[in-house]
Amino acid sequence: MVEQVNSFAIKTKNVSVHYGNKMAIDDVTINFTKNDVTSLIGPSGCGKSTFLRCLNRMNDVIDSCKVQGEFLLNGVTDIYGDSIQVETLREKIGMVFQKPNPFPKSIFENVAYGPKIHGLASTQSELNDIVMESLNRAGLYDEVKDRMDDIATGLSGGQQQRLCIARAIAIRPEIILMDEPCSALDPIATARIEELINELRENYTIIIVTHSMSQASRISQRTAFFHLGKLIEHGDTSKIFTKPDKEQTNDYITGRFG
Amino acid sequence: MIYFALLILVIISYLFYYIGKKRALNLKFNGNIKLSSQPDYFGYYVVLMALIPALLMWFGLLLFKGNFQEMFVMSPILFPDISTWSDGKLGLILNKLNNLSVIVNLPLDDLTNGEKSILNMASENELTAAKNLANFDKIYGWANLTLFIILPIILGFLATRSISGKLNAQPIVEKIITYIIKGSSYIAILITIGIFLSLVFEAINFFRYVNPVDFFFSTGWNPNRAFVVDASEGFDKDDLENAFGFIPLLTGTLLIATVAMIVAIPLGLMSAIYLAEYASKRVRDIAKPIIEILAGIPTVVYGFFAALSLAPFIKDVGESVGLPVSAESALAAGLAMGVMIIPFVSSLSDDVIKAVPQSLRDGSYALGATRSETIKKVILPAALAGIMGSFLLAVSRAIGETMIVVMAASLRANLTFNPLEPATTITTQIVTSLIGDVEFDNPKTLVAFALGLTLFLMTLLLNILAITIVKKYREKYE
Ligand SMILES: Nc1ncnc2c1ncn2[C@@H]1O[C@H](COP(=O)(O)OP(=O)(O)O)[C@@H](O)[C@H]1O
Ligand SMILES: [Mg+2]
Repeated sequence: MVEQVNSFAIKTKNVSVHYGNKMAIDDVTINFTKNDVTSLIGPSGCGKSTFLRCLNRMNDVIDSCKVQGEFLLNGVTDIYGDSIQVETLREKIGMVFQKPNPFPKSIFENVAYGPKIHGLASTQSELNDIVMESLNRAGLYDEVKDRMDDIATGLSGGQQQRLCIARAIAIRPEIILMDEPCSALDPIATARIEELINELRENYTIIIVTHSMSQASRISQRTAFFHLGKLIEHGDTSKIFTKPDKEQTNDYITGRFG
Repeated sequence: MIYFALLILVIISYLFYYIGKKRALNLKFNGNIKLSSQPDYFGYYVVLMALIPALLMWFGLLLFKGNFQEMFVMSPILFPDISTWSDGKLGLILNKLNNLSVIVNLPLDDLTNGEKSILNMASENELTAAKNLANFDKIYGWANLTLFIILPIILGFLATRSISGKLNAQPIVEKIITYIIKGSSYIAILITIGIFLSLVFEAINFFRYVNPVDFFFSTGWNPNRAFVVDASEGFDKDDLENAFGFIPLLTGTLLIATVAMIVAIPLGLMSAIYLAEYASKRVRDIAKPIIEILAGIPTVVYGFFAALSLAPFIKDVGESVGLPVSAESALAAGLAMGVMIIPFVSSLSDDVIKAVPQSLRDGSYALGATRSETIKKVILPAALAGIMGSFLLAVSRAIGETMIVVMAASLRANLTFNPLEPATTITTQIVTSLIGDVEFDNPKTLVAFALGLTLFLMTLLLNILAITIVKKYREKYE
């Protein structure tokens, strides 16, 4: 497969992460193609979340966490370099967490939070437009349009998670990281989000951690299998789930461990 | 004597625990009897059975000791005119008899001259009464000892003997313990109610002299107008008119509390933010207890700090820029009080800020917000209710504070909002009204209860408000 340098949203090389003396990621090299959904799978504790959080530097706040290796955004910008501020980086790389975490503010204020901080709207009506469009894309607008001023924590779990997605896309990121976004949701809400991820793929590069292999096979084009902090195998989802190169991968997807 | 008896009681109960348990074990293993409770419970059962009746009777004796004593000692047989005695005379005679009873049974040779003359001065009846009193004390002492040692031993052995396969000790023990626990909490509640009621009754007494409308709405505070040589002659209504006006005390209290909050809110809140969001764990572990020490410094120390250092300093500074500052300015008292309540604000606010879930911080950082934006726009709003609660608790503490204002604030009621002038507070006036000759038939003294009741209601209201707010805030994340 011949690929252009700029067709990678994020390139990483020789990434190692330690929590204190404990190694969590061991020499991982992986590139994420643009406008694809990439699933990170693997048994719990293998370092999927840790790796994902390196990509938008969410590990910076954990004192004991030391990140080594090379991270390039769009093939040029060093994610950990001086040329980009961490706030600007996170404007480009959004994140959705495992547990829905809307702010205890109104639905409107939740979505408007990012655009306000980054000055994306110069007038109130522009801000309204951004909020409306983001809620629309997250498939939530119709459900909440009559109660935009209600407190967001009153929404159902699935709605809250879609609100968090709306909040993330309101600042127009290029990449969205998702850490098990459906693990706290029921099957119907999960299906809704999976549908949404499929739609978002058009405009965003999505990297999603999931513990559900069926979910990975449903929503992603690329899949990476992690085990004990190492990247075991990475490739097209169809290939990983039908004829993986490594026996370990095969054991995992056929349910022999993990 | 009583401590010795208590010690013996502890030893006895310890022994009975083992005896009861032992007997139960014996029955179980040697007698092959199936017990309906664990052996431990039989131990507790015996202890409770042995102790509780003795303790109850001891308490009863204590309660009625005075009555028994009067029956033997202060009886109409010895003192025929006793029913005409005033309370004061009764007390004096009883006191005299108490003194006599110590020496009345001693051989004359052992007495000092002073003691001999006391004996000589006593009347025949008084001596008899004193002897009765001495005998009574002896009997009472023996009764106590019996209750404390002999009764528990007898009851304990009876209880031990009653242990059998049929006796189910566990529910009995648990029931008794539940009663004890229940009783303790009722006692605490009853005491609270009792204190409140005594405040209410004395306040009602006060309002018999002073019209409540005058008290709550008049602006003159001159309690010395109620000074009369003999209260039984009554008071002149005009004298009391402007004597007990609550308003200047209220404004004084609020003025000083406001100064205190102006100091405590910014300092407390900012140190809370620093501790919760910026300080490393090491700094936090050291700094937080140190700040909390501020609340542990005895308020009297703040008081003399305010009166001896702060007040003169403020006066000097004020005068050097041409401001007239009183030597007992509200400012000095308020500043010292403000420092004292910093930890109330900082510690509680720090807790509520810490309680804001990490996931909200993550959510904000992930949207590219800086730390200060996150604090301003997410954390503080989320913690707002709890922070307000901490403010209210601090205000209520400031309003109820006594020692600092007694030492540093003025005694002169002064209707002012200028912190450079002297002001007095509700608590200060309560203290003043109870110092010196205290007569409970004089509104000058009784006003303390009206003030106390008002103060109590004010702080109670603030506390209820604060607790409701904090609770509401907690529910949001649970
Ligand atoms: N904040 C942390 N401090 C110390 N160790 C951590 C921390 N977060 C994760 N780890 C450790 O790093 C390893 C990888 O964790 P994680 O990335 O959460 O795994 P996954 O998401 O695949 O379940 C685990 O062994 C975990 O215990
Ligand atoms: Mg994880």
